[in-house]
Amino acid sequence: MTRHTRILMSCIYWAFALYLLLPLALMMLMGFKDARFIGFPITSWTLDWYIGVFADRQVMFTFGYSTLIAILSTAIALVVGTWIAVTLTGRAFFGRAVILGLTLLPAVIPGVISAIAFRIYARVLGIEPGMWAIIWSHAVHNVPFVVLVVMARLSTLPRSQAEAARDLGADPLVVFFRITMPYLTPAMIGAGVFCMLLSFDDFVRSYFLGGYDPTLPVLIFAKLRSGMSPEVNAISTVVLVLTAVLGIWAERSMRRIKKQANR
Amino acid sequence: MTQRTDPVARIEGVTKSFGKTIALHQMNLQIASGEFVTFLGPSGCGKSTTLRILGGFETPDTGRIILNGQDVTALPPNRRKVNMVFQDYALFPHMTTRRNIAFGLELKGLSRRAIDARIDELAAFLQLADYLDRRPDQLSGGQRQRVALARALAPDPEMLLLDEPLGALDAKLRTQVQIELKNIQRRTNKAFFFVTHDQEEALTMSDRIVVMNQGRIEQDGTPEELYFRPASRFVAEFIGETNLLEATFRGIEGDAAVIDWLGNPLRCNPAGQGFAPGAAVTASVRPERIAVSADRPATENAVEARIVTSIFKGSRYLLELAVNGTRVSAYADSPVAADQGASVWLGWSRSSISLIGD
Amino acid sequence: MPDLPPQSPADPSGPPTFWGRLTAWSLYRALTGLVFASPRRQFWMLILFPVIWVLVAHLGPILQMMQVSFLSSYPPSAGKEVVLTTANYSRFFGDSIFLVPFWRTMVFSVVLTLTTLVLMYPVAYFLARHVRRDNQLLFLMLLLIPFWVGEIVRIYAVMIILGNNGALNLLLRWLGLIERPIPFMYTNFSLSVGIVYLTALYMLMPLYSALEKIPANYSEAAADLGAGPWTRFFRVTLPLSLEGVGAGCTLVFLIATGMYATPVLLGGPNTTLFSQTIAGFFHVAGDQWPTGAAFSTIMLVTALVVAGAFNRIIALLSGRVAK
Repeated sequence: MTRHTRILMSCIYWAFALYLLLPLALMMLMGFKDARFIGFPITSWTLDWYIGVFADRQVMFTFGYSTLIAILSTAIALVVGTWIAVTLTGRAFFGRAVILGLTLLPAVIPGVISAIAFRIYARVLGIEPGMWAIIWSHAVHNVPFVVLVVMARLSTLPRSQAEAARDLGADPLVVFFRITMPYLTPAMIGAGVFCMLLSFDDFVRSYFLGGYDPTLPVLIFAKLRSGMSPEVNAISTVVLVLTAVLGIWAERSMRRIKKQANR
Repeated sequence: MTQRTDPVARIEGVTKSFGKTIALHQMNLQIASGEFVTFLGPSGCGKSTTLRILGGFETPDTGRIILNGQDVTALPPNRRKVNMVFQDYALFPHMTTRRNIAFGLELKGLSRRAIDARIDELAAFLQLADYLDRRPDQLSGGQRQRVALARALAPDPEMLLLDEPLGALDAKLRTQVQIELKNIQRRTNKAFFFVTHDQEEALTMSDRIVVMNQGRIEQDGTPEELYFRPASRFVAEFIGETNLLEATFRGIEGDAAVIDWLGNPLRCNPAGQGFAPGAAVTASVRPERIAVSADRPATENAVEARIVTSIFKGSRYLLELAVNGTRVSAYADSPVAADQGASVWLGWSRSSISLIGD
Repeated sequence: MPDLPPQSPADPSGPPTFWGRLTAWSLYRALTGLVFASPRRQFWMLILFPVIWVLVAHLGPILQMMQVSFLSSYPPSAGKEVVLTTANYSRFFGDSIFLVPFWRTMVFSVVLTLTTLVLMYPVAYFLARHVRRDNQLLFLMLLLIPFWVGEIVRIYAVMIILGNNGALNLLLRWLGLIERPIPFMYTNFSLSVGIVYLTALYMLMPLYSALEKIPANYSEAAADLGAGPWTRFFRVTLPLSLEGVGAGCTLVFLIATGMYATPVLLGGPNTTLFSQTIAGFFHVAGDQWPTGAAFSTIMLVTALVVAGAFNRIIALLSGRVAK
């Protein structure tokens, strides 16, 4: 490639990065505006909106509610996903491809449709809309990611590790908890954090399956429909900072553990 | 020395196939306690499959495995009192040496104190005391190999299975470890079941070698038997270097069997199997058993040959010779006889020839 | 070197450790004995749970939705008889109120998928080829962080930029290009910007991982054989990255068709997408559910068929290249 195309491509990259980051930066900035309505220019500044977020009991409750849903649905997705990955790795059997395909399907079903399918199914089963319905739909949606990540990691575990443990007197269950699980830890942390972020950020499933209590994205959505205000900016900014910190932490710790285990 | 008493393990009529390939064909074998048995053969000959069947990682299609008088054919690896040293050692990367060795002991239901005592014993035995708190990635290849050995020996197995455990070591370390391993085996007085494709390794360490080829046992005997009395062409070629002489059987003359090789009558020890006069036979003669001299030697068998090339090998010379146009190799201690094209005499005793029926 | 004594089997000096106690526990032994009795039984026990999960938790809702789509009314109410009917499907074909959002959604999704592809390919190429390997993660993280932030927050960020008092209008006015703010919001434009903003990463990641796998020396070898930069790109790099193109386009297309909050917040009355139409049936009285279910089924089948057809084309293309 010529030097010109290289420069051009680097320009495209930075323009794209700007396109991604600038709106978020401006959004954070707007949370400091000392006025009720959103818009530029910002003439006077205040911290009140941010303080308000932490004082608002509804926001704090919703934050806790979303976190709880994220943790529980992630826990389910991790158990199910790891189970499926362990079942499908290193075995050839009739119907394996079908099970794998069906397992991965929820990742590509359009969001609205899966939300509506769950809504109808929950009604048929008699599950009230609310926390458990949301948790279940999030878990189903997140299992494919866990399966993919865990299967990738599992395929690099030498067969001899499990065999050596069996040889020394371990039954398959002990092998899983003492050999396989420690090896999978980095993958499970990574997949788990990714699932938590997906669940915490999910709108469409939480919206269609929610009861009276909104999750955080649903709350922001409701506030947005009644008008933009710096309050929403402050809430969004808090969410943004938390998710970014969690994401970066997960990425780093995953790398560290992986390096340690692979040395 | 090894005492040969009741067999520790018996393989009875074991057959194993993977899909259409037959890995083992009606295998029968006994292993005595305290014996160092090596399974030798090219890759894919079924030696590793035998090992894995003994360990419980594969189930035979037919036949039985008896360990100490008990039929264990259907038992999974965790319920067999045999332990294995894996080719890649399979040390658990997230555990220290101490935890690795303790793994099998914990599952045996031992107390913490008993486990620590046993680890100390093993550490003293295999000189591991300094590495007990290191992880596998902080150990050298030789140290890892000793940890794997300690881990497998810790639960006091009736027999130890070793799957090419020296393959990962460099050549220099390897010779040293071979001798060490033989010593360890002698002092634990356990049956070691060793798998390798390296014939030199097999000759160095074993009490007994089982040569395998294409799922069948070619020969089963002491290193000396295999080396000097190969039962088949395959064994003769696989173990060490040899000259295979295509000859015709003439008959028995007195206490010797006489064969005809390129017009030269050769006298050898009569083989067990009777050959009919005129039958084609192959005679194996090891190069180092052939004496090269300028004059006709006084040995029973003497053949005239011409030197083709002479290669300096450090301690001696490897000679490539031609007898009536057929290639033969032999060794000479001094370069005196090693002029190219010179005519020399080759001589060997009758015990240096072994007859192989084709 | 001392000799190794055999380990004494009887051990009076204390209780077993945790794993020893657990595996010796009679209940544990009974259970594992049952489950691990044979490799075959072990396999069945292992596979049972995934099969149940797939059928009950995930395939169940979809199949149920399809079943409801053929009912005359749902949820069941007193006095109404439920019969099987295809009326819910004929409703779709009979009314432009439904057909227009449907076609708009499909066209929109296809166009935006291709737009994202064109925009993201240079970015992925730059990352995979022109950034040093140690720095790639850093450059990637910079783009990843915004994607960890949820859909709603990012839509809101776009609203702030595009609003009448937003950053873009402010900038244009400051430059003197316009006097009155341009109404960007609630148009096809704002909706497109939003969807691209939300889906770009799902295009970037597959492209990046496909491009990253192509050894650089392929291109060098082609250059050595006298291929110019464009030939090299179209004959070597692009065909080898087709797999990533396929994965990225499938993901973006399916995500774009399934978006709900984005058209609600960024779109206007003239940009209604099919997801909004479907959702409408679930906001009002309950007997509209079968229609909503039928429309969802139509959309799911269409989306999967389009994605499948697209993947087939990609597979054919890369198959032809491979020959």
